[in-house]
Amino acid sequence: MSNHADPVLDCPVDQTPDPRELIEAAMQWHFDPETGSPFWLERAKTLDFDPCQDVHSFADLRMFPNVVDDLRDVRVEDLIPKGYGPHPEVAGVFESGGTTGPPKRVIMLKDWMDRLMAFTMRDMDSRGDPRDVNWLSLGPSGPHLFGALASWESRLRGGVKFAVDLDPRWVKKCIRDGRIDEADRYAEHLIDQSAFLLETQDIGIMITTPPLLERIARRDRLVELINRKVRVLFWAGAHMDADTRHLLRTEVFPDVDLRGTYASTMVMGGTVERPGLTDGDPWVFDPFSPYISFAVVDPETGVEVAYGERGQVVMNHVSKNMLLPNNLERDLATRIKPLPGTMGDSVADVSPVPVFDNETVIEGVY
Amino acid sequence: MSELIQLDALGPKGPYRTANRRTVTDVSGVPVAELSLVPKLYVERSVAALHKARVMPPEERAAALERAGRAFANETINGLSVEDYQHAVSRVAGMPISVVRAATRSIERAAREAFRGTQRARPEGAVSDWHDPATEHGHAVWTRRGDVFAVLAPGNEPEVHALWLEVLALGYRVAVRPSQREPLTPHRLVTALREADFGADQVVFLPTDHAVADEIIRDADLAMVYGGDSVMRKYSQDARVLPQGPGRSKILLSGDDDWSSHVNTIVDSVSHYGGMACVNTTAVFVEGDPTPVAEAIAERLSAIPSLPPEDAEAVLPVQPLDKAEVMERFLLDHARGTTARLGGDGIVDDLGDGSAVLRPAVFQVDRPDAPQTAIELGFPCVWVAPWSRDDGVEPLKNSLVVTAITRDEALIDGLVNEPTISNVYLGDTPTYWMRPGIPHDSYLADFLMRSKAMIRDGRGSGREGDGDQAGDLYPDAVGPITR
Repeated sequence: MSNHADPVLDCPVDQTPDPRELIEAAMQWHFDPETGSPFWLERAKTLDFDPCQDVHSFADLRMFPNVVDDLRDVRVEDLIPKGYGPHPEVAGVFESGGTTGPPKRVIMLKDWMDRLMAFTMRDMDSRGDPRDVNWLSLGPSGPHLFGALASWESRLRGGVKFAVDLDPRWVKKCIRDGRIDEADRYAEHLIDQSAFLLETQDIGIMITTPPLLERIARRDRLVELINRKVRVLFWAGAHMDADTRHLLRTEVFPDVDLRGTYASTMVMGGTVERPGLTDGDPWVFDPFSPYISFAVVDPETGVEVAYGERGQVVMNHVSKNMLLPNNLERDLATRIKPLPGTMGDSVADVSPVPVFDNETVIEGVY
Repeated sequence: MSELIQLDALGPKGPYRTANRRTVTDVSGVPVAELSLVPKLYVERSVAALHKARVMPPEERAAALERAGRAFANETINGLSVEDYQHAVSRVAGMPISVVRAATRSIERAAREAFRGTQRARPEGAVSDWHDPATEHGHAVWTRRGDVFAVLAPGNEPEVHALWLEVLALGYRVAVRPSQREPLTPHRLVTALREADFGADQVVFLPTDHAVADEIIRDADLAMVYGGDSVMRKYSQDARVLPQGPGRSKILLSGDDDWSSHVNTIVDSVSHYGGMACVNTTAVFVEGDPTPVAEAIAERLSAIPSLPPEDAEAVLPVQPLDKAEVMERFLLDHARGTTARLGGDGIVDDLGDGSAVLRPAVFQVDRPDAPQTAIELGFPCVWVAPWSRDDGVEPLKNSLVVTAITRDEALIDGLVNEPTISNVYLGDTPTYWMRPGIPHDSYLADFLMRSKAMIRDGRGSGREGDGDQAGDLYPDAVGPITR
């Protein structure tokens, strides 16, 4: 099916390729006029280096410009490497939340989805997560990775997926326009919908967003139902601070295995918090290396910060499906020593770039 | 102090230390304390617990308040002796330590008097307990308008925390969101209250970021919020919120008395509390020539020495140098076109350790309606304006306190009848005069309580035609309904 792909790009899903071999194979694939995507072949003309010659390592990925803004208007067909042939199997087209303008979109091919799912299933198995239980996804479906991943995952583990849909762009628009009441009523409507499912159905695994989880926490009846029924509760799609997480784990949902995820459409996947973390630990996320990798840099200089220091997160995606290197995300995190054999770093205590409360009150005595 | 004071949140399950902590520094920038900032979820759960909590019986509340006040002013709390606490507040808020000491005693007294004080606000026609025999034949009962009260407290001076003790006295559960500028006083007070048998679900201390502050108001039944004009505007339409705005207290010297014998009272009114309170005089209105008055005030204020706040002799407030300079620029920018009697060259006196004394300022304006007379700043700063009988009450409007040194009955009538003037003091009374049981800005109970009609046993309901008033007065209205 695929033209001259290096076997390392097609390695069995239960194997982890050597990072350097993966990067070199991916460069040959994405920048060969026979196999590369129109998108990258076009951009290759503007690069002042030759990816096939010059890019070998994790550090070399930083040579690339950040191209994610181009994903707002490129045809998705142009993102598919030609080496897949005319009719590759597509898992879906996924879009970003649209926080910073028109949405960015990627096209996910079946071979990458299989790889990502194999990683997720391995991870869930290693934690002893249940099979053959039903899932509840309280969060965006539509063009977002959030709901799609839950669909694939639930199918692979048995059980059915119940869903309550959320349009995050509408919520953001309401908030941006100052229509807080409307956003509020919409969110409460979603909780009402999830209540029907939690009351009547057997839900073993649930996935939602931190703001919705906080709203659920305000309803005693739902808290009781979740503690009784749900074994694993993932949250995704937004940040959560360490204190809220502590409260949710210890006071609100003590009987549930509560797990944070760190994902991005722009790496076509994500990862779940490192198992076995206790309260004093940094809240660590290990990437699906070497396909997805993180770096933590000083926002001013772009230079990598030391371990334990905070900086801005840079994400890379390198696979046969896609190359999205050197994407500076709008997240701050602590740089953490990676697990052995991992490419790049792990990250911890991810937070949005902070907005400081430094209003200068002069007049008046208060 | 080598070890930082830990100011934990005080929630319904006890003290709570968060990962997200704010360092509280003194006026020189030296870290003094760490304040645990709670997330929204903690606020929601705490306020929910307050809603579910029992109402403490009145006599228990009164006794616990008195005990808490005594402990606040005398005992070691959270590892801090009274002296440690006062020193820390003085250094953090830049407030003269004598003011902090006086505030400590005021809070003790307020706690002791809170319960009795609230009863003075009860309408004559209402009883405080429905078991009162008066309700058998129909009477009013004084009842709460809600269960949970939130205070978004300021940090300008400790004594502001005396006020919400009345809310507890009335049986509300109270959530205090402290100012990040001076959280020590509310932390100490809430701790003392909880140690004095107010349950952890009766009064909580919830430090939060600005973004979360509105959640507290949303989840409480009623709230009190301190702030400037923008806060006043934000909440002016919200019947559940009582905004506490700038005081803009004023003194009026009418010509029918010799002003020179009142200079002490004026100077005191400007500089007491380090000029940091809403009851400090912001403007003085003088019938006749204001110049000699302004000069006399300036002369007296200029003699106050610059001292660090923890010095027993200190009178003036101290701020971090950069903040003091911002304040100075603001003052001088706004004083353009006025005549400086003191502070025209600046008010910042650098103490050399990163902090600076804010020295007094006296400026003379040439009209009673000069906009400067409304500029209230957190140090002794006073605007002196001319005033005549023709100007009347108009320039004295929008004041927490007006001290009027006058014998003009018509003028006094005007001041008392003016809705935007909260308190009127006559004669040689400083604007900062306050007593438990006497309203500060109306009785707080006016906001917290309502009167509810109650009748027991059905007697006097008019059904038996036993000559009751309602039946006599409104026979047609009652008749068809009862038939």
